[in-house]
Amino acid sequence: MLRAMLRDLRAHLGRVAMTLAAIVLGVGFVVATWVVSDSAAATVRGGGQRTDVSALVQLERRAADPRRPGIAPEVVTRLAALPGVSRVEGVRSGYAALVGADGKLGTTYWPGTAGTDWDGSQRFELTAGRGPQRAGEVALEYQAAAEAGISVGGRARILLTEGRDDTATVVGLFAYHPSGREFDPAVAYDGDTAARLLRSQDDDPAAVPGFDRVEVSGAAEDALVAAVRGQLGADYEVRSGGELREELARSADSDADVIRKALLTFAAVALMAGVFVIANTFTMLVTQRTRQFALLRAVGARRAQVRRAVLAEAVVLGVVGATVGVALGVGLGLLGMRVLPIVGTVRYAVSPWAILLGYAVGIVVTVVAAYGSARRAARVSPMAALRTDAAVPRRSLVLRTVLGVVAVAGGVAMIALTRAAELDEPARIQAMAGAVLAWVGVLLMAPVLVAGVLRPLARVLGARGGPVTRIALRNAVRDPRRTAATASALMIGLSLVCAFATVGQTLTASLTDEIRTAVPPDAVVVRAAAFGQLDDAARATAAAVPGVGALAVPRLGGAELLPASGKGVEVQFTALDPAALGTALRPRVTAGGSDLRGGVLLDEQRAAEAGLKVGDEVRLRFGAADAAGGSTGAEVRARVAGLHRSSELLRGVVLDQALLPAGVDSYNDSMYVLGGDPGALRAGVERVFAARPDVVVLDREELLDELLAPFQLVLGLVYVLLGAAVVIAVFGVVNTLALSVLERTRELGVFRALGASRPLVRRTVRRESVVISLYGGLLGIGVGVLLGGVMQYVILANPVFDMSVPWSTAGVALAGMALVGVLAALWPARRAARADILAAIATE
Amino acid sequence: MTSFEAAVSAEDLTKRYGTGDAQVTALDAVTVAFGRGELTAIMGPSGSGKSTLMHCLAGLDTPTSGRVWLHGARHGSADRVELSGLRDDALTALRRDRMGFVFQAFNLLPTLTAWENITLPLDLAGRKPDLGFADTVVDAVGLRDRLHHRPSQLSGGQQQRVACARALVSRPDVVFADEPTGALDSRAGAEVLGFLRRSVDELGQTVVMVTHDPVAAGYADRVLFLADGAIVDELRDPSADRVLDRVRGLESAARGRAGVGAGA
Ligand SMILES: Nc1ncnc2c1ncn2[C@@H]1O[C@H](COP(=O)(O)OP(=O)(O)O)[C@@H](O)[C@H]1O
Ligand SMILES: [Mg+2]
Repeated sequence: MLRAMLRDLRAHLGRVAMTLAAIVLGVGFVVATWVVSDSAAATVRGGGQRTDVSALVQLERRAADPRRPGIAPEVVTRLAALPGVSRVEGVRSGYAALVGADGKLGTTYWPGTAGTDWDGSQRFELTAGRGPQRAGEVALEYQAAAEAGISVGGRARILLTEGRDDTATVVGLFAYHPSGREFDPAVAYDGDTAARLLRSQDDDPAAVPGFDRVEVSGAAEDALVAAVRGQLGADYEVRSGGELREELARSADSDADVIRKALLTFAAVALMAGVFVIANTFTMLVTQRTRQFALLRAVGARRAQVRRAVLAEAVVLGVVGATVGVALGVGLGLLGMRVLPIVGTVRYAVSPWAILLGYAVGIVVTVVAAYGSARRAARVSPMAALRTDAAVPRRSLVLRTVLGVVAVAGGVAMIALTRAAELDEPARIQAMAGAVLAWVGVLLMAPVLVAGVLRPLARVLGARGGPVTRIALRNAVRDPRRTAATASALMIGLSLVCAFATVGQTLTASLTDEIRTAVPPDAVVVRAAAFGQLDDAARATAAAVPGVGALAVPRLGGAELLPASGKGVEVQFTALDPAALGTALRPRVTAGGSDLRGGVLLDEQRAAEAGLKVGDEVRLRFGAADAAGGSTGAEVRARVAGLHRSSELLRGVVLDQALLPAGVDSYNDSMYVLGGDPGALRAGVERVFAARPDVVVLDREELLDELLAPFQLVLGLVYVLLGAAVVIAVFGVVNTLALSVLERTRELGVFRALGASRPLVRRTVRRESVVISLYGGLLGIGVGVLLGGVMQYVILANPVFDMSVPWSTAGVALAGMALVGVLAALWPARRAARADILAAIATE
Repeated sequence: MTSFEAAVSAEDLTKRYGTGDAQVTALDAVTVAFGRGELTAIMGPSGSGKSTLMHCLAGLDTPTSGRVWLHGARHGSADRVELSGLRDDALTALRRDRMGFVFQAFNLLPTLTAWENITLPLDLAGRKPDLGFADTVVDAVGLRDRLHHRPSQLSGGQQQRVACARALVSRPDVVFADEPTGALDSRAGAEVLGFLRRSVDELGQTVVMVTHDPVAAGYADRVLFLADGAIVDELRDPSADRVLDRVRGLESAARGRAGVGAGA
């Protein structure tokens, strides 16, 4: 029996290959995910781990005065004298940023803006050249150098504190291995030069700062740590090398876990599409072998035997698919590790878990997908062997439809119910769960939707169009379950793409709106590069530019809003010159006025929550940082002059900068300049900041691009990861068409005999394919946009239908689906056109 | 009978399958002509080459050697096409525009209604059906109230009548029917045959019909008897009884030959 089935499987090799492709891709993606996260963890743990630190000495936090002198050189000398110590290395650290070819720092966090002193420890792994030995020489972190376009032998310009800068010859490139949590440096000088040049922004420019930390090496770690602790007072924190290594390993593992979880989510989506494809293919394979099963039953096979045989077939396919998938996944994973920006030597790790999981997923998914088909195959009546038009019994769609309707209704209700109350964490989770439930409901309802939507369409268009359209459409709706399964697989990936696109579009639109409202079109934006801040000198420079009409210098920070009674709430504040508000920066006032001389502008949402109106008095408590890191809690009373909608640039409470108590913690990373001819103004501003690599000059749209860049990056990544699900679904379309064409050999023969040319037959199959793909596409886009609406509601607390529809993405997706339809039909259409007329019309 | 004018003719038509020992000669240098406005039946035992002959005449199969002509009725004798050497596209167009087909079973496209099936060859050619003529045909086959049904909603006899209507509606030069009643009971078969007969009598249609049923052959103007790939006999204006007599004669002759063959 089993042998008969296996022989049968071999005979269907062509059809089976596409099922295998779906399994292989799904498994491959899961395994690749596992391999990437394992390897990433191993790389950080193994390759990046240092073995030459027995103890690390740092100043205790409370002793770490911002204007600290650091660890004195004398401490190093004392530690070196301890017994068992083989090496002591004082490590300096200070601000040092590599200036790019455009004369400016990058606008990203990474690579860092730290510099350090070179030593022979395992901190540095040379990738080219040698370490710096004297003044005028420098070594650069290799990726920072690549980004700035500098190689060994070149000259590097390095920005230091207090506007100083240094130019040195690059003698080497290195990869950095931290001993604990520290900023990875981009620049390394020799010890003396580092002592001379490196300062923290808080350091006293006059004094030579001490060491940031001291690394001690020696043989007996525990004894050494004890000795170091004994030598130093309570002002110093001493950690053992073991602790440090464990800490790094833990953080590597948790990083890897975050990556793993995120990637596995996408792998699960791909697998879900795979289940549809595999289940559909199995159903078709079983349908086409109805008579064979009937024959088996007629000669005495029990139902359980037939069922087991089909499941055995699934297991075989699962094992074969998983084997190839695991190999593919390992390959993809290792390839992925080459693409990731990992410092130093990459370690590859393929854990047995990855392989086991691959097999488990491959077999379980295939068996689950085949289970329904197996049961139906077993229910074929032995009588079917005698009939020519025998069909496998079908489950009715009633249960599935009812479940689908219930899921959609339940999901929608779950979302609707969250709108009554405040959108807190549980409400957000409930809304999201409702959206997922409704999404699953749509998948369940897909066959009914085909019958309900596509069929009437086919009737109308089919009656009008030519034979190609007519036959293509009728074929597409012939078996709603089959078309639905094929389209559903497409829908899964596509709906998520569109959901994310909708969220992205909505966030982009709201941010764009905020920026365009706040910043006048002619304003020139002065912004600190590399996520730094602007300093007094920069502010003074901007104010002195000829032709400046208005200058907004918003300082942002946190405060406590104290209502007349009750507990205070945390708010953000934006302090600026009243004259600049409404000119260089424009608030979105919703009530009252915007003259800060008459009081503060309150965020309308906060005002509503605290029950405050225009004209009310508010108290604001500012936490000024004192030397001990505590708060002095200066309190300011002000009238509410107006309400505004808080935005990215004007956040929370907007107030006159004169009201801000001295010493309040705030940061200022941008200025907005307005006045005269915008072209001349920009040229003037650019000129005065030409010598400031840490300050970039932008216009409004450039600022917007900079703020939007991270979204685009994440969205791009999400699209790529969802691509796997779409690719699997495409295999599903090919499979459905190929198997359908096989099933229709006879009618294709008649079609050809009656005068349908080969190109016409090809066109018919292609059109059917395009119809199915477009149907999946439209369903996916529609459902995706709605899902995106709920997601942006959950994220932004906007009304659900306030989402921005990502028309361009939807358009591209739809065009892509049409293309998928054409491509998926290539092979099946050729098969159909080659159908042998005589074989088709011959009667046995 | 006036002068004999051919609608389809073949010369030295030979079809062989396989090579070497396994070679089968399905048609052995057949030269034949089918009269215009006649219903010609091709009879013969199973495996005698009936279907092969019809397939070669219709351009569905390529003969090993020999030639086939299709003689147009509309444009006089100049409108003569030789099938051998035509490419697939040209043959397809020829079948679509100038031939009609009725097969034993699986004649209709299951997704199309009866009416759509009937007009399919015209649709494929991008021609508007002549509604008056289509009506005549539909009424003749008695399908008026079934036009919007799918094949699965029609009986076997009704399906065959739809196929007949389809074969006629484009007014082809010739209709090929391969055992059109083979899968029908005798009453439904009689309806189909009666209809083919009337299409010849009333519309002047040319029909070539393969059958192994003497009763069916009795409807023909002329019967050709095929044995081992060759035409061995011919009968004009047959009755079913005369056909049966001939068949019996041929069968005993064949048995005699087989016996001689076996003894040798
Ligand atoms: N595709 C084929 N391959 C090999 N032999 C064939 C093929 N088609 C028909 N034959 C052989 O050719 C002969 C004539 O077949 P056919 O024309 O179908 O006979 P009929 O229709 O009279 O029953 C038979 O011996 C048959 O076995
Ligand atoms: Mg035959």
